[in-house]
Amino acid sequence: MTVALFAPCYVDQLYPQVAIAALRVLERLGVKVDVPSGAPCCGQPPSNAGFERLGEPALHAFVKTFAKYERTVVLSGSCALHVRTHAPQLGVAGAHVAARTVEFCSFLHDAIGIERVASLGATCSRRVAVHIGCHGLRGLGLASPSELQVGRFDKVRALLGTVRGLTFANLARPDECCGFGGSFAVVEPAVSAKMGRDRLRDYDGGNADMVVSTDVSCLMHLEGLARRDGVALPMMHVAEVLAMSAR
Amino acid sequence: MSGAARSLPVVHSAPVDHAAAAAAFNANEARVDWHDAALWFVREKRDRAVEEVPEWELLRELASNIKEHTLSRLDEYLVAFESAATANGAIVHWARDAEEHNRIVHDILVSRKVRHLVKSKSMLTEECGLNAYLEERGVDVVDTDLGERIVQLRREHPSHIVMPAIHLTKEEIGETFAEHLGTPAGLSDPTELTAAARVHLREKFLAAHAALTGVNFALAETGGLVVCTNEGNADLGMALAPIHIASMGIEKVIPGANELAVFLRMLARSATGQRLTVYTSHVHRPREGQELHIVIVDNGRSEQLGRKDFWRSLKCIRCAACINSCPVYRRSGGYSYGATVSGPIGSVLTPGIDLHKYAALPFASTLCGSCTAVCPVKIDLDAQLYRWRQIVVDAGLVSVTKQLVARAGGRVLASRRLVAVGSMLFRSMLRAFPARLLRRLAGAWGRDRELPVPPRESFSAWYKANRAHERGGADDVA
Amino acid sequence: MTSRDVMLAAIRAARPAPVERPDVRARVSEFVPHAEAVFSFIEASEVAGARVVKGRRAELATLIASVYPAIGRQVSVLQDLDAGSATALPHSFADTDVFVCEAVLGVAENGAVWLPLSRLRHRSALVLATNVIVALDSAKIVENLHDAYAAIDVAADGFGVFVSGPSKTADIEQALVIGAHGAKSLTILLLEE
Repeated sequence: MTVALFAPCYVDQLYPQVAIAALRVLERLGVKVDVPSGAPCCGQPPSNAGFERLGEPALHAFVKTFAKYERTVVLSGSCALHVRTHAPQLGVAGAHVAARTVEFCSFLHDAIGIERVASLGATCSRRVAVHIGCHGLRGLGLASPSELQVGRFDKVRALLGTVRGLTFANLARPDECCGFGGSFAVVEPAVSAKMGRDRLRDYDGGNADMVVSTDVSCLMHLEGLARRDGVALPMMHVAEVLAMSAR
Repeated sequence: MSGAARSLPVVHSAPVDHAAAAAAFNANEARVDWHDAALWFVREKRDRAVEEVPEWELLRELASNIKEHTLSRLDEYLVAFESAATANGAIVHWARDAEEHNRIVHDILVSRKVRHLVKSKSMLTEECGLNAYLEERGVDVVDTDLGERIVQLRREHPSHIVMPAIHLTKEEIGETFAEHLGTPAGLSDPTELTAAARVHLREKFLAAHAALTGVNFALAETGGLVVCTNEGNADLGMALAPIHIASMGIEKVIPGANELAVFLRMLARSATGQRLTVYTSHVHRPREGQELHIVIVDNGRSEQLGRKDFWRSLKCIRCAACINSCPVYRRSGGYSYGATVSGPIGSVLTPGIDLHKYAALPFASTLCGSCTAVCPVKIDLDAQLYRWRQIVVDAGLVSVTKQLVARAGGRVLASRRLVAVGSMLFRSMLRAFPARLLRRLAGAWGRDRELPVPPRESFSAWYKANRAHERGGADDVA
Repeated sequence: MTSRDVMLAAIRAARPAPVERPDVRARVSEFVPHAEAVFSFIEASEVAGARVVKGRRAELATLIASVYPAIGRQVSVLQDLDAGSATALPHSFADTDVFVCEAVLGVAENGAVWLPLSRLRHRSALVLATNVIVALDSAKIVENLHDAYAAIDVAADGFGVFVSGPSKTADIEQALVIGAHGAKSLTILLLEE
């Protein structure tokens, strides 16, 4: 199977190491990966800000670019959710692509399987605070949210559990929102910053020495706050951690 | 408390600026932490109560189905309810809007020469501004729910639909009681303050000419009203006064007792983490020698019912679980929403009532989805917030700059080439400009956060340089 | 047109497409039952702040006396211990120290007892009394509210109330205070024959 890899606009431009790590991880797992050009953005930012129609051209470009692939692996829960939710509204082609669009961690967990991921031999001796972006968590089912009365499961923790030396920090509020929220970060800066700082305080309380997330947008926000406050706390995408190995 | 009422300050007539109010709220970080912790505590109690019910998700599905069914036949259920209630001896009134509701209530009171009214919690009457209306006309109105009495004495509005005084410290409440109830200055112990309120309100119950209650559920099959309280204040009002007036929104009706069981199993657990409220009263007939009036109120609800994207918000049973779970509400407080019903549910109800005034509320959210997950009747709150955003923008109620940015962004983001060029400039800028200047340019982002450290090349550029030859023919990237 | 006409017309015009009525009884029959109804009932009552005293029906009078030695005014509407005139005015119970009655059934999942008007005689006495004692046959405990509503006639007597625990409030800084406007204490006498 050949999968397509989609790096969200801000990953492509500001965090290329995340996409490079994801590409290497997939290749080491024996997956053939294409990175087609033609769709720099899924259209989520203007859409969530209320400008849905302005986001449509980007979404159309996404659908067109990824139409031929069995799977499109997306390096963001927010982007994957946006495509899965809104692409069907564009018609049959959109529904086709939506059904085949998956977020990176869920692809590794569901399609590749934990055993094969463990064969990567990733190593990282850190106590990790895990932050699953809300859209991936509650929208895509990456883990059981604390609100729901369902059996406990966590695909992201399962993946990180294959990493040798990695331990998990205990958090007081494991799935509270970081406060980024796209345009929310600039429309409601006071609350956005407060929410992010509260996450950082929780990580500190859990003695975390690294933050790992499914969404780099969350990390961009948290890291921005941490650096402003003079807090040195490394933050990585799951792909980067899985790429960390002697091999 | 009769005589002309001073107008209460909280509800704005100008557009509600949630962000500004939230920023002001956040000026006192210790206070925000206290408020956030208080509400999170209630959310945790809810979680523990829900964990005891293995069939919880099944109940949610069932509750949602019952409400959607009822709303799809709402007129029939209301007619059935009216018929059964009238046969029981109740007098049923219909009010199109807040003004008519208030007039009907006032007319009842005037015709029976009522000077002293006791009220138990009714968000509907808050919404209608009933207290001020009655006070202006010489009726003494006493809110008997402890939280509501506290804010009434302070001439404030409730900041939360279930816990009206959640924003106040015990010291502040102690000061209010010292001023109005004559308790000792400096007394702030909750038990002693509650005991003082008990004595004070007992007198009011015994002297009341009429009692007004809300309605948690109206039973269509038997014509009954269900009222849930922990304090017993609704019961004291209803059992003593010779006139009982019950105000209900049209959406409160449910088919019957079988359905009631589903909602009662969820209401208190969702609201406070209790398995059931202390008193769950079922009123079918007035007590001996009493008149029972039921006022059925629309006030914009039928209009919401007709909105294909938003009618499901009428399923709400006013538990406030969404409010307690909302990370934004907890850090901005009820008053920042400028409406009786605040938080996520308020943000999907109020734009339907006044789009211009409440345009900002759907944006007071990160769309994290916690509210949707916690709602006992499965209202798709985050989806409705998203849809209201589209409507607000289409109505031109978003600032011009935001529009320009979004329009430009939309064009750019569809074009890989434009993004590449724009981003290359952006990345170069980030590397070259001094931090202080960047911060100012970065505006609201830069107030609290550093900008990301820009890399030398984008992923697309790296891919082209290192991999694209394997795939053949990638377009120009930067 | 009356407001009623206007409102019903608006609702009829606005209402969404018909949604089928769910069969509640069928759906709730899938639920997992509690292991031990009496035990669960006692635990739930105590969590709600009630006190539960077990005893035999033959010793009822003694039990009541032991819970509240007769200080002040006691009003009992139990058949064999009656006081409280049927024609008393609601306000006349303002000075009641102890109100005694018997419930129709109890609900294991939440510790609530069902008190229709026929068991209360006076609605006001229940909420005016400082202390409330409720007798309950331990064989009359049902699993949950679904079973409770199936077993009672919710409209009978024109008034009925589920009571779980003494009155309470947490409106002041979330601090739980027992004894708001209603009873300050609730004691359940759980009776075996």
